[in-house]
Amino acid sequence: MRTLKRLFQFISIYATALGLLWGVKIVYGFSDYLIPPPLEMLQVASQNGLLYVKAVLDTLAVAIAGHVVAIILATAVGLVGRLSTWPGNLTRTAAYNLQAYPIVAVAPIIFLFLGDGLASRLLIAAMICYFPLLLSFIGIFAKPVEEVEHFFRITGRINWRLELSIRTFENLDKITTVIVGSGTMALVGTIIAEFLAATNGIGYIIRKALYQSNLAKILVALFLIGLCSSLYLSFIETIGGWIKMRLYGIRSSPYNQV
Amino acid sequence: MHIACRNLHYTYPGADFPVFSNLDWSIEGPGFFALFGLSGTGKSTLARLISGELSPMQGDINIPNAGRVLYTHNAERIPGWDTVGAHLRSVTPASKIPLLTTILKDYGMEAHLESRFSGLSMGQKNRINLARYLVQEFDLLIADEVLANVDEPTRNHILERLKTLFPQKTFIYISHNALEVARFSQTIHVLTHGSTAGTNRIHKITGLDQQEGIEIPEELVQERVYAILRSAASTSEPRL
Repeated sequence: MRTLKRLFQFISIYATALGLLWGVKIVYGFSDYLIPPPLEMLQVASQNGLLYVKAVLDTLAVAIAGHVVAIILATAVGLVGRLSTWPGNLTRTAAYNLQAYPIVAVAPIIFLFLGDGLASRLLIAAMICYFPLLLSFIGIFAKPVEEVEHFFRITGRINWRLELSIRTFENLDKITTVIVGSGTMALVGTIIAEFLAATNGIGYIIRKALYQSNLAKILVALFLIGLCSSLYLSFIETIGGWIKMRLYGIRSSPYNQV
Repeated sequence: MHIACRNLHYTYPGADFPVFSNLDWSIEGPGFFALFGLSGTGKSTLARLISGELSPMQGDINIPNAGRVLYTHNAERIPGWDTVGAHLRSVTPASKIPLLTTILKDYGMEAHLESRFSGLSMGQKNRINLARYLVQEFDLLIADEVLANVDEPTRNHILERLKTLFPQKTFIYISHNALEVARFSQTIHVLTHGSTAGTNRIHKITGLDQQEGIEIPEELVQERVYAILRSAASTSEPRL
């Protein structure tokens, strides 16, 4: 249901944007060369569809891998960042300062060192979604849930694992939202990497289409990117929802309460 | 258990005025004592200072026999991943399981053990929270508005049973309900606003200490209620 809703939302937005584009074309009398007619887009889709689908799946695979790496890394560093001792303070300060720097700007250096293959795309995807994840995780892990933790603290039962479980559980909604948001960023990071220098993926296809000034190819590629990202994000949301349902218990789930 | 605070001073970080300065206060347990006062007089702050959650900026708090002090308040929740029963079993020492069973029966909560905490009413949540504290090892339990959402007959029953089940323990019961503290407390310690910020003082009023199965005449209760309310509304020094 959630997946269908996301797909419907994306297709509606895509169709509206396309309609506006064609409306502008008709009003200002732009040529078919500048804005392709629907028929040309269909031809591009039928001729290159399979190639584009493979490319977008390649991009998606790299984005997912980068996203997973970023989540694992952000969790690990977030655990250090929650500490009130010097390693925690150092991690927090470093994270707040580094996140202010546009990571895309260092992408050329990554390509210089790692070449234009998978490693560069993966690293850029991971780096772009890593810092928002890290800052959120540090915030969540470091902030006490006083009304739940109080009992365990005053009775001497609290330990770091329990503390972490409570804070994670109480912030599951926030965590799911951050992970979904960073999923989009991972996809953006991968495509940017492919724009810049990679030789694979849908970003690379768009870059080639740009050199040919072929808007039809770009529009078809954008459609596939939107389709895949909608599916991926709704997949993450479904997993998050499933975890919450399992933890909250179906009968007393907050989703079932008014 | 003897608790004595001497020359206590506390200001919250960032606040312009202290909650207390030069506060002297003591109680001699065991027994059921009440801390009463208008909002903002520092009842919860004093409770948190005694329990060690806050540290006084000046002065000291003596609990000579180093007894175990617990502090609970009515906003507490149990983790949402467990049912109420599973949580209670996990935090109750094996030797206290029979006591837990008795308390849950007394509080009418036996039928709710398979529920999640979020599925309970506010009054039920209050009772479950209090129950889990009562089965811990403690010498002094400071209960801050812990029965605020419980209906009056049930609340009265809980307080009576508390005194029967734990005659050797010390309770400091924080409440805004003058009738309740007048009826059940051994002594009511009324925190009053001072004439200037931080000069709060505590007046002691003897309570009626109602026990299980003993009725106290309403006139006596009313008399204490008036005394408590008069005291709470007074200032410790002439207003400037």
